Parts: sequence; C-alpha cells; structure tokens
Amino acid sequence: MNTIEVDHLKRIYRAQIGVFKRSIKEVVAVEDISFEVKAGELFGLLGPNGAGKTTTVKMLTTLSIPSGGAARVAGFDVVKQANEVRKRIGFIFGGERGLYWRLTGDDNLRYFASLYGVDPSVSKKRIPYLMELVGLQGRGNERVGGYSRGMKQRLHVARTLLHDPEILFLDEPTIGLDPVGAREFRSVILNLQSQKKTILLTTHYMFEADALSDRIAIINKGVVIAMDTPSGLKQHVSDLSVVEVETFGASEAAIEKLRALPFVDALSIEDREQKQMLLVQTVRGAEAVPDVIAALEGQRVGRVIVREPTLEDAYVRLVGSQS
Amino acid sequence: MNYLNLFRYWRTVLVVAEMSIRMQFSDGFVLFAIVFQPMIIAILALFMLKDKGPDFAMFVVVGSGLTGLWSSLLFVSGNSINVERWIGTLESLVGAPTPFDVIVFGKNLANVFQSLLSMVTSYTLAAFLFGYSLSLTQPLLFFITLLLSLFAFICFGITIAPLFIMYRSVQQWQNAMEFPVYIMCGFLFPIALLPGWTTPLSYLLPPYWAALALHGTSTTMMPFDQIAFSWMMMILFSVMDLIIASQLFKIMLYKARVDATLEVD
Repeated sequence: MNTIEVDHLKRIYRAQIGVFKRSIKEVVAVEDISFEVKAGELFGLLGPNGAGKTTTVKMLTTLSIPSGGAARVAGFDVVKQANEVRKRIGFIFGGERGLYWRLTGDDNLRYFASLYGVDPSVSKKRIPYLMELVGLQGRGNERVGGYSRGMKQRLHVARTLLHDPEILFLDEPTIGLDPVGAREFRSVILNLQSQKKTILLTTHYMFEADALSDRIAIINKGVVIAMDTPSGLKQHVSDLSVVEVETFGASEAAIEKLRALPFVDALSIEDREQKQMLLVQTVRGAEAVPDVIAALEGQRVGRVIVREPTLEDAYVRLVGSQS
Repeated sequence: MNYLNLFRYWRTVLVVAEMSIRMQFSDGFVLFAIVFQPMIIAILALFMLKDKGPDFAMFVVVGSGLTGLWSSLLFVSGNSINVERWIGTLESLVGAPTPFDVIVFGKNLANVFQSLLSMVTSYTLAAFLFGYSLSLTQPLLFFITLLLSLFAFICFGITIAPLFIMYRSVQQWQNAMEFPVYIMCGFLFPIALLPGWTTPLSYLLPPYWAALALHGTSTTMMPFDQIAFSWMMMILFSVMDLIIASQLFKIMLYKARVDATLEVD
C-alpha cells in the first residue's frame, strides 16, 4: 500500500523584480516529479543544491501549494485535505531553527503537543519518554537557547513524534551536526524505522542515504533522474572502478588533461584542506593507474587506490550525465 | 473564526497563552511596551493634570492602561507573527492541525492580560507617587466592561494579524498606527476635543467603545443605557472582527503557501 503518492508535481516560484518597471520572474523549482512510497518504507530523496528536494517536501507537508500535478499523503490530497494530512505527519527541516529558545525543552514539547491535540494526560507520559528516546533525559527543564545544535535537532525529532505520526518527513536532519551527533541521529532514525514509520528523508550525505534508505530517488533540476534501491542504483556503475588519486595543489590544466583521457567516464574532486582527492571513474580499473599517473606528470601525487564504486559514484555519474 | 473552535480548542488557547507569557516575560522590549511605556505616559499625564483632582487621575490610569493594551496588541501580536517567521516556527504552527486563528487568539489573550499590568502600574503610580486615593464610581459595571473590552481588543487584534503574515512591509506602518488610535479612541482625552469630522471614524474603532465605557464607569456615573450601548457595540465589533479574521486567515494563509512567504527569504 502506498502511503505517499506524488504524481507529476510541479512548483514555480514567482517574484516581482525591478522598482520602476516591475516584472515577474519565474523560477521552476520542481519541474515534474513522480514517485510513490510504501507504508513502513524509508525513502531517500537525493540531489544537488537547488534540485527541488526541500520544495517537494514542503508541498507534501502542506506548507507550499503545488503549481501543477497532485500528491496524496496517507490517502489525503495535500491541497484539498491539508488538515487531514497534518494530523498524520511529522516534519523536520534541518538546522537549529523552528524551536522556542526562550522556553525549556519540556515546554516546547508541551506547546506542540497541545497544537497537535495530544491529551495532557498522554503528553505528560509521552514527553519524558521522547526526551529519553532522543537522548535528552534530564535536560528537559533547561532553556533550549542553551542547547547545542545536536541537542536542538534531537529535540526536533521529539517534537515531531509527539502525536505519534504515521509518516515522517526529514529534510536534511543531520546537516551541520558533528560526526558523533550525526551518528546518534542516524540511530534515532533507525529506531523509528524499526517502529514501521514511513519516512521520507532528504540528505546530502550519500553514506547516510545508503545506510538508511530502502529506496532512493535522485532528483536534479526538478525531475527524477533515477529511482531504485541503493544496490540497484550502484548497478549503474557496476561496470566501473574508481581510481582515487591523492594530489597536492594539482593544476587545472592537469585535471583537464586527466578528464580528457578516453577511458575516464567521470571525474570528481574532493577538496580536503591542503590536498585534493581525484575520483576517476573508469571501466579499466587498476589498468588505468599508469595512464592516470602519466596524465598528472609534474604534479605532486600521494596515495593511489583502486576501489569498487559506491552510491556516491553512482550519484556522480547520474547527475554528471545530466549537466 | 468558527466560534465553536474557541470551545473545542480552549485547552490549546490556554497553553498558547501560557507559553506566550513565559516567552514575553523574558523579552526586554515586551516589558518596555507593556510596563514602562504606559508608566512614562501615566507620569507625564499625571503631572499635566495634577491640579485637576482624583477624577482626572483615574481617567489617566484607565487611559494609560488602554495605551498599553493597544501598543501590546499592535506591536507584540503583530510582531509575534514575524518573530515566528524569523525563528522558523511559523511553518510548524501553520503545519499543525490546530487552526491558525486559534493560535493567534491564544497569543492575543496573553498580550491583553499582560497589558492589564499597565493599568495596575498606573494605578500604583497614581495612588502612591502622587498621593491620590483612587476609587471606581461603578465598580461592578467597570469590571464587566473590562472583560468585554479585553475580548474586543483580542478580536480586533485578530483582524490585524493576517496582514502581518502576508505583507511583511506592514511592520513599517506599526508606529504610524499607534498614536492615531490613542487619539481617535479618546484614551487620554475625550474625542469631543477633536474636530467634528473625526467622530464617525472613532465610532468605527472598537477601542473607542471600550474607552468610552471604561472611562464612564470609572470616573463618572455613566447612565446604564449608554454603558449597555457601548457593550453592544463591543460585542457587535467582536463578532464582525472574528468573521472578517476567519476569511482573512483563509485567504492569506493560502496566499502565503502559494507565494512561499511562511519562511524567511
């Protein structure tokens, strides 16, 4: 049974520009997106900045009106039956905002519990349970302004679970968290997944999507360019290997020379402080290494590794082929 | 607003009011608008009218209290929507199943009850600082009028709130909206002192009827039929305000979701 049904959804933003001669500027945030999410599934939405991920989530959470297409959440239309949808969903938009910093953690939860119609006798028991679930036990009577970023994001999770929603929309929930905080957060998401919640997760972190998602849709420029299980998406690059080359200040010319080699399928660069990691996708595997090194002649080269492709490599290939 | 919502969501209204009060009491600007500004106005007015006797002192007490009510409603209620937008909670409120006008009602309830502090502050100043012995001429009718006035102010505030959701530039006009209401509604002097053509405009403002009945029951023996007429006008305006606000909220929340103005750009 599908819990979320998205059918050719479209969103155009219109903004007035100019002071004396006013004109309307249109920006297409979502061009044409369709997908379905089954009950109890954790569905990942991946894409570069500006791809339309957050806009899609805003439409599904009734906070934004689609310009075209339709969407149903828990069987209800997100525009015509917005209030029915709201009763059944919880949502988190990444970051620290969206909480009352002058109130304590417990008071924030009591406030939102009231807005979601949770009976006070229920919320009295549920608030300590949720604070413990997200690892904030004993901190409920402190003002949220004094919480760390990770604590605030965990409080968001508690807030969104107050009315025990069937469906959760998590929009980049781990953004800005330190590695330990992000790991703890992922364990909370796994916990929710084990409770058979339907979760739509958007993230920039490929390993996070790979580890958590049952299925993933990759969107770019407002359209879905691929949709499959993580292992299914990796099949897009099953013919490839990745040669990782550590360089120190490699020149643009050398990188372009490398990119132009006929056996290079895709090349991405990760900047890591003083060095860059060049990720060369190629069908030739280890045999490509001598030619890669030769192309980087005159550059300072460190370690060279050949490895199997990951979801990130599949993402790079899919999004790269669109650019 | 669907009136039944007020009964259905009474618990939510009280929680929203409680949390608003908790938040506002830790905000210096709000304390200034509610406590210190009316205190300053009261001191100035009491000095100007100090030779006119205790009746005028009570007039000032009630009048400065009304200025506190209006300032609180205009700045705190109006700004509260923008504050929700800035801190990123507006989307969470709109995305909750509780009707948004119920939330705004709770916020306004908190604001007007806090504004009663203005009246208490002014009363204390007049009684102790200037040595006036203050008494109400019609205490029972005054307290009934006060309750109706608070309800009328809350409802008037609800019609203003949607404008702040949709048009962020309305904030620029807040200062310009403060003093005309003080003057047109006879908070600190009778509107009879104003040019005659302004009188019909005063009649259209619910705070005018609140000020008329509050002054009448605190400093004079206002005839009951006139008090009752003021009550009726307050109830009439409150009903009209709630109906208008209900429609404005529907239109403006829909428009805000179309134009994506629920969040900060």
